[in-house]
Amino acid sequence: MPDHALILNDLVKDFSGKRAVDGISIRLKKGEILGLLGPNGAGKTTTIRMIMNIIAPDSGTVQIFGKPFCEFHKNHIGYLPEERGLYRKLKVSETLDLFGKLKGMSTRRIAETGPALLKRFDLQDYAHKKVEELSKGMAQKLQFIITIMHSPDLLILDEPFAGLDPVNIELVREIILEKRKEGVSIIFSTHLMEYAEKIVDSVVMIHHGKKVLDGSLPAVKSSGGGHSIKVTYEGDARFVKTLDYIGRFKDFGKEMEIELRDVGYQDEFLKHLASRLSISRYEISEPSLTQIFMRKAKEDHGEK
Amino acid sequence: MKIIAIIKKEYTQIVKKKSFLISTILTPVLMGAMLFVPVLLTKVGREAKIIQIADYSGSVAEELLGDQRSQRAGTDLKLEFTLIRPDPEQGRLLLEFDSQRPPSKDQGPRFSSRLQGIDDFTGSQPDEKEGTKLKLISEYRRKIIGKQADGLLLIPENLKNSRRVYFFALNVSDFALNDYLTSAVQKILSRQILTARGYDIQVVEEAIRDISMATFKVKKEGITKSTSGMDYMMSIFMLTILFMVIMLYGQLIMRGIIEEKNNRIVEVLISSTNSRTLFYGKIIGVGLAGFTQISIWVILAALAFSQSSLKIGEVMSGFFTVELGIYFVIFFLIGYYMYSIFFSIVGAAVNTDQEAQQYAGPIFTLLFIPFLIGIMVTQNPNSTVVLIASMFPLFTPTLMFMRISVAVPPLSQILISMGLSILTTLFLAWLGAKIFRTGILLYGKKPSIKEIARWIRYP
Repeated sequence: MPDHALILNDLVKDFSGKRAVDGISIRLKKGEILGLLGPNGAGKTTTIRMIMNIIAPDSGTVQIFGKPFCEFHKNHIGYLPEERGLYRKLKVSETLDLFGKLKGMSTRRIAETGPALLKRFDLQDYAHKKVEELSKGMAQKLQFIITIMHSPDLLILDEPFAGLDPVNIELVREIILEKRKEGVSIIFSTHLMEYAEKIVDSVVMIHHGKKVLDGSLPAVKSSGGGHSIKVTYEGDARFVKTLDYIGRFKDFGKEMEIELRDVGYQDEFLKHLASRLSISRYEISEPSLTQIFMRKAKEDHGEK
Repeated sequence: MKIIAIIKKEYTQIVKKKSFLISTILTPVLMGAMLFVPVLLTKVGREAKIIQIADYSGSVAEELLGDQRSQRAGTDLKLEFTLIRPDPEQGRLLLEFDSQRPPSKDQGPRFSSRLQGIDDFTGSQPDEKEGTKLKLISEYRRKIIGKQADGLLLIPENLKNSRRVYFFALNVSDFALNDYLTSAVQKILSRQILTARGYDIQVVEEAIRDISMATFKVKKEGITKSTSGMDYMMSIFMLTILFMVIMLYGQLIMRGIIEEKNNRIVEVLISSTNSRTLFYGKIIGVGLAGFTQISIWVILAALAFSQSSLKIGEVMSGFFTVELGIYFVIFFLIGYYMYSIFFSIVGAAVNTDQEAQQYAGPIFTLLFIPFLIGIMVTQNPNSTVVLIASMFPLFTPTLMFMRISVAVPPLSQILISMGLSILTTLFLAWLGAKIFRTGILLYGKKPSIKEIARWIRYP
């Protein structure tokens, strides 16, 4: 058995002369969560549509569980499209029935899993209501239910948090983590990177159709620019600037923000500080994905 | 089976709608009204017509009045004759004008207003003086327009030689009335001529008795009593049903696809099943809904005709045979699938209802042409034009059915046309699935025909 759930190899897609996706390669290990991050219009949805075989790539390949996309995969993939769509005139229960059947579920299995999921999402009272009577958030939840209800092995979620309130964002996040425990491989896209930060195992960042970052979350965090250190102190801190392993240095008089060229210099730096200054606070903060992205985007811009 | 889920969804979504129930009930009611009311009106609602007779020959009018009482019992006509005093001078003028050529067009503007409408009688040199001479006709023009009289019958002096009478009325296309007037006058004249030669009145009456004609329709399964007008009405009636159902459900499919495309349900659908399953599931589901509706109508119709004591029930049960019913179902299914494929291709190719209407226009035209050719079918169901048109697969469902309902064509023609149209439908289905696959996932701009052609070539 291949140990990757999903391998994208050098995908390229042009839309009327404009390159929307430019050589994206992604590897999603089985049982892991991969966050596909990037601002609006970066090419996330196009990439996902190519995974789902909704649009064909101009070049490059997609492999799902070691094979190109085929009919067999459809019952084992849960896909939440960016633009949600349900039949407005169908009842909630009929919706579950229809999409369950389309995913190859038996009537009995739908009857077992459907109501439980509705309850989990607090929609049990709406089972016999028509979809058009639901609020937008509720319809969103229903869409999420039909994405996961056939217990897929691979979940592809395009902006799963969009349009949800914080309580439901938490719920969706909880379920994503649960699914990972069950061994489901998950790839989801979002432009809200802070939501991704807590749950992803690895990250792919794309910008203007190009991959700008790829790796496990810790690796990305350490590689994507040094950790920033905040120090509150008494004394003369001008010597810090002269240390050769200091990357960025900002002095506010009683507080300074430093970035080291390498995480390895941390101990040495702390010793230095302790010998010269009186320190009341020393805080190492990891860069947020947003910060890393901003920096990467800037570098990218600078190269051009 | 995923296709079952799609068929079920499309089917129940239509059948459960209130509009389905309403149209199922209302359509036969309206159709029945359309069919029965005019027939009933001609039977029940015929009011007595007041016909004024001016008899210049002096020999016909009295007998015509007598005839009115005695011999007209068998017909539906109700007439009231009154005699008016003829003016010999007018009788002479009348003949004079009738024998003259009609006036040429360039003289038109010179006519006085009083003479308009009786131009033919004013001859080539109309003037105010001549007009006043024809004051009886002018007077009756006003009366007829003012609905004081329904018609004016002028019997000229030399009727025996000219064998011609003149009738003035608002409506001169009441064939029953026209036939009656000419045959009544003819009989009176014959009677007078023969009795004048000394024939016994009994013999004369025997000689001039009316002849009526009963029409029978020859079919393979036997001969049924039928009137040609009824056949035409019935086949147009069934064509209308075919046309309406195809239009209604074809558009329903089209709208459905546009909706799915716009709210991107289609992405979920395509990620769960393939476009071919989706395409066929849709067409079959909606088709079954249409079939359900038609079946309800056929059952209702069968019940109504078997219960009906009206004469029209008999006529219709003569028209509807099991064979025709089977042909109706077959041609309905072929026509339905053929056109719903067209509509779903349009639905998949466009993005909005407005765009869809543009593309759907030619489809409506294709559906409508058979109605125009239909008139030819009833007049001459086996002419070459009709034969070729009914063999053209896109027209076969309507025209071949119409030919069968009017006069059953050779079985070989029926089978060939069926085969051709089924092959065409299968080809269209294959083509449609290809266009559908690409079109359904393409958003944004309206594709050109060239682009659509390219979709077909994709592997």
